[in-house]
Amino acid sequence: MPTDRFPSPFDIATPEGAEGWESMYDWYHLFGPERRELDEQRFWFADRLHHPDVLHPYDEIQCECWWQALGAFNTRIFAMPPAYGVDQRILNGRLYVTPVPAPPGDVAARAEEFGKRAGHYYERWDAIYAEWKEKVLARLAELRALRFDPLPDLEPESTVYEHVGTSAGFRMIRDFNHLVTSMYETYQWHFELLNIGYAAYLTFFGMCKSAFPDITDQTISRMVGGLDVELYRPDDELKRLAKEAQRLGVDLGEDTPAADLFAVLTKTDNGAEWVADWERTADPWFVVNTDPGHPGGYHVHPTWAEAPDVPLAAVREYVRRLDNGEAIDRPTDDVLRERDRIAGEYRELMAEDDRPVFDETLELARKVFVYIEEHVLYIEHWMWAAFWAKSKELSRALAAMGELDEPEDMFFLRRYEVAEAIYDCVVGWSVGSRSRGADYWRPIVETRRRIYDALKAWEPEPALGPPPAEVNEPFTVMLWGITTSTVGEWLKADDEGGKVLRGTGGAPGVVEGPVRVVTHVGELGSVEPGDVLVCPATSPSWAPVFSRIAATVSDVGGIMSHTAIVCREYGMPAVVGTGNAVSTLRTGQRVRVDGGAGTVTLLDEV
Amino acid sequence: MSGPWVVALGDPAAAEVGLVGGKGAGLHRLVALGARVPAGFVVTTAAFAAAVAAPEEIEAPLRALPADAPVAAVEEAAAQARAALTDAIRSAAARGDVPVLDAVRAAYRELADSAGPGGQRGAGSGAAGGGAGLGTAGDPAVAVRSSAAAEDAADASYAGEHDSYLDVVGPDAVADAVVACWASLYTARAVAYRRGRPAGPMAVVVQRMVAARAAGVFMTLNPANGDRATFVCEAVWGLGEPLVSGAVTPDRFALNKISGEVVRREIAHKPTRLGRAGTEPVPDAERDLPCLTDDELAELLRIGRAVETAAGAPQDGEFAVDDDGVHLLQARPETVWSQRPRTVARGRTALEAVLATLTGGDRDAD
Repeated sequence: MPTDRFPSPFDIATPEGAEGWESMYDWYHLFGPERRELDEQRFWFADRLHHPDVLHPYDEIQCECWWQALGAFNTRIFAMPPAYGVDQRILNGRLYVTPVPAPPGDVAARAEEFGKRAGHYYERWDAIYAEWKEKVLARLAELRALRFDPLPDLEPESTVYEHVGTSAGFRMIRDFNHLVTSMYETYQWHFELLNIGYAAYLTFFGMCKSAFPDITDQTISRMVGGLDVELYRPDDELKRLAKEAQRLGVDLGEDTPAADLFAVLTKTDNGAEWVADWERTADPWFVVNTDPGHPGGYHVHPTWAEAPDVPLAAVREYVRRLDNGEAIDRPTDDVLRERDRIAGEYRELMAEDDRPVFDETLELARKVFVYIEEHVLYIEHWMWAAFWAKSKELSRALAAMGELDEPEDMFFLRRYEVAEAIYDCVVGWSVGSRSRGADYWRPIVETRRRIYDALKAWEPEPALGPPPAEVNEPFTVMLWGITTSTVGEWLKADDEGGKVLRGTGGAPGVVEGPVRVVTHVGELGSVEPGDVLVCPATSPSWAPVFSRIAATVSDVGGIMSHTAIVCREYGMPAVVGTGNAVSTLRTGQRVRVDGGAGTVTLLDEV
Repeated sequence: MSGPWVVALGDPAAAEVGLVGGKGAGLHRLVALGARVPAGFVVTTAAFAAAVAAPEEIEAPLRALPADAPVAAVEEAAAQARAALTDAIRSAAARGDVPVLDAVRAAYRELADSAGPGGQRGAGSGAAGGGAGLGTAGDPAVAVRSSAAAEDAADASYAGEHDSYLDVVGPDAVADAVVACWASLYTARAVAYRRGRPAGPMAVVVQRMVAARAAGVFMTLNPANGDRATFVCEAVWGLGEPLVSGAVTPDRFALNKISGEVVRREIAHKPTRLGRAGTEPVPDAERDLPCLTDDELAELLRIGRAVETAAGAPQDGEFAVDDDGVHLLQARPETVWSQRPRTVARGRTALEAVLATLTGGDRDAD
C-alpha cells in the first residue's frame, strides 16, 4: 500500500533508553501540545545538511542562531517576497525544519518593499561587504581574546592597581554571555547578506535555465564563480607548503603522525624552517572545520589545526603530484578566461532583447557570489571554530574548579544551564564557600550521556507530516537539494524498504565496490583504495581521501554540493542527497553506484 | 529567367536563390564558408526556362482541377503534367533541340575531370562504356537533387517534396535525372504542398556522391526544448537516406556547443545500412558501435556552428562521413523554434529580474 504522508511528529516513539530526552533541549524547540494543530499540518524534513547527527544540548545554540536570524531577515527586514523564515523543531535529538511561506496575498506588497530594501544593498554591495568583513573580523579577534581560566585564589595585583573594578568571577559570567550573544550577532550579519545574495544568484540561475533548458548547474556556476576568493586560501596554503617541502628537500614520509614527524623535522635546519612555516600558516589558514557537510555545526569535529594529520595528508598528496611533474596550482587566470568565454558564448546565444538584462544579472550574481563563497570561511569556519575553542576552554576551567567532573560534561548542558553552572561556580568562589557543583550536575550528565547514545542509534525519519504537492520554494531546492521527486522517493522508500537507494546523480559513471561509512574526519584513515565512501556529506577538508576512493554516496547535497563538484573533477561517480545512506548501508557491503541514474544498489551482504 | 544554364557551386552566381534555388544557394553558402562540400554544379532555373518551353500548358490539367478534387484526380492530373513535360523534352531532344541538356552533360564531364575530394567513381561496368553519352568506368557517381526556388527557405522546408536521384553515373543518366527532377514539380505531394501556388522554375543540383561510411542529420539547437546551446545529430552507417525517410533508428548524439562535450549518446542497434548496391547487412561487430567518432562529432559541431554563425540563425542539415572527414550535404534554417518568441527575461533590470524570480513571475512562461 503506497502511503501518501510521512508519520506525524506526534506519533514518533521515543527510542528505548532515551526516555526524558526532551530535558536536553529548550522547551520552545520541541513539538508541544499547544501548537499540535499547526505542526501536524506542516511538512517537516530532517535537516541533515546542517545537523546530520544528534545534537548535544550545548550545540543547540548552533540551530538557534540561524533559526532566529534567517527568519528575521527574510520575514521582517528584507520582506523576501515568497518566503518567511525556516521553522525548527527538535525530535529525538535531530533537527527537523519547515520553510514558512509568506501568505500568497502578501507577495506583491512584499515584493515592492523587497525591491527598495534589497535594491539598496545590491547598489552598494561591494562597500557594504567591505564594512561587513571589518566588523566580523573585529568580532572574531574579540572572541579569540577572551580568556576562560580557572578563577584565581587571589586576584592579581593588577586588578587593584589598574582599577579594573570587577572580579574574575564576574568577568567569567560576562564573557560567557558575550561569547553567546556574539554568535547571535554574527548570525545577524550572516543573513544580512546571504539570502538577498542567494536571491540574486538564483535569478541568474533561473534565467539560464529558461533560456537553455539543457544547461548544467555546474556550467552556470562556472559563469559566476572562479574568482580568487579567500575560501580557496587554505588549499592554496597546502600547495605552497608542498612546494616549500620540495624546495627545502624536506621528506614528509608517508604515514608518520604529524606530531612525530614535526619532532623529527625540527632536528634539521631545513626541517625546522618548514615546521615553523607550517605553524605560522596554521593560524588562521588551518582554522578549517572538518564536519562532514556544513562546517562548524558541532563541537566534536576538530579543525585542521587541531588534527594536523588531515592537512598533512593533503600536503603529501600534493608533493606526490609535484614529484610526478603535475601542475597543482589553481589556474586562476585560465579559470577566469574560461568563465568569461563561456558567459560570452551563452550571451551570444540569448535573444538579443535579453542580453542587457543577462549582463546585469550576471554582474550582480558575480558580486554576491564572492560573499556566498567567502562567508563560509569567515563564519562557518573561523567564527564557529573560535566559539567551540572558547567553549572548550571554559569547560576546562569549570572542570578544574570542580563545577564539572570533566570538561566534556559541559556539552551535555544547555547553554542556559551552563550560565547557571557558571553562576554556581562563581558564587562559591566569590564567597569562599562551596558550590553545589559537580555533585548537582553529575546525575543529570550521566542520564543525558545515556540518552545521547540511545538517540544516536535511532534512525530518523527523513520527513514528517503531509508532503507538499510540489516543492518549489527556491531556497529549499537550492540549499537542501530537496525536490518534489526526492520527497516522492522518500515516500516510496517507506513502502519498499528496498535494496535501491535513490538520490541525485552528482557525477556520472558506474562502479561497484565495498562500502566504507565515514561520519568523522578521524575515520578517513580506514578508507581503502577502491572503497565507496558513504558519508553524511563531504567537506573540502577531506580532500586527501578523494584520490583513494572509487565513488561517493552522501546523505545530503545537490548537484552543486562539494561532493558532486569534487567527484566530477576526479571523474568518479557520485550519488548525493540519498537521505539515509549512512544509516542504511554498512561498511563492507558491496554496492553498485550509478552516478548517472542517481542510484545505489545493494549487491550482497558480506 | 535569364542567366547561365549551369554554374559551379563555388561560383559567385550560385549565391542567387532565384537562379539556383534554395538548396543550390545554401550549398554555395557552405562552399563560400570553406566547409567541405562535395564538388558539383547547379542546373539553373534559366536552364529550366530554356528547356521547358510552355510551363503553363504543362500545368493546365492541374489548374483545371477544382479546389476539392479527390486525391486520385490530383494524382492523375499530376501524372499528365509530368508526361507532358518529359514528352516535350524528349521530342525536342530527338530533334537535337535541347542545348541545355548538352550543357548538363558537359558540366558533368568537367566534374569528372576535376579531382574532387570525397568523390566516388562510378561502378559503371566496361560493357556500358564506349558511347559518347554513356557512362565510362572512370565516371563519378553523382547525386541529382531538385532545388526549387521556394525550397529550404526559412518559413517552409519543402523537405522531401521533390525528387532526388542518388548514385547516378554517366552523362546521359545525369541528363535524364535532371529532367526527372523537373518533372517532380508535378508529383501529387508537391502539388498538395504548394496548395494552389503555381510551380516555380526549378533548379537542379548535381554533386559527387560521398562514399559515406556514415551519414546523418544535425540541428544546431535541441528540437525537444529549443536550447540553442545544444547541438544534436543523428547518424547511421552508410548513406543517410534511410534515416531521413525515417526507416531506421539512428544513433543519437547531443553536444554542448560551448564546451564541445558530448552530453548524450544513444547508440542504436543498426543491423543494416544503405550502400551503393542497396540495403546490405552491417558486420556483426559494428552493429552496436557508434557510427561517428568523437573527432567526427567535434568536426561536425565546428562546421555546424560556423554555418549557424554565418547565417545568423539556427540551422539543420545533412552530412556524410568518409575517409576525408565530414562532408556537408545540405544546411538550411531551422523552421520550428526559430519562429517562436524566445525572450526569457522578465524585467529590464537585474532588480526587476530578481523580483520576477521571487514572485514566480518567471514561471508563467513554463
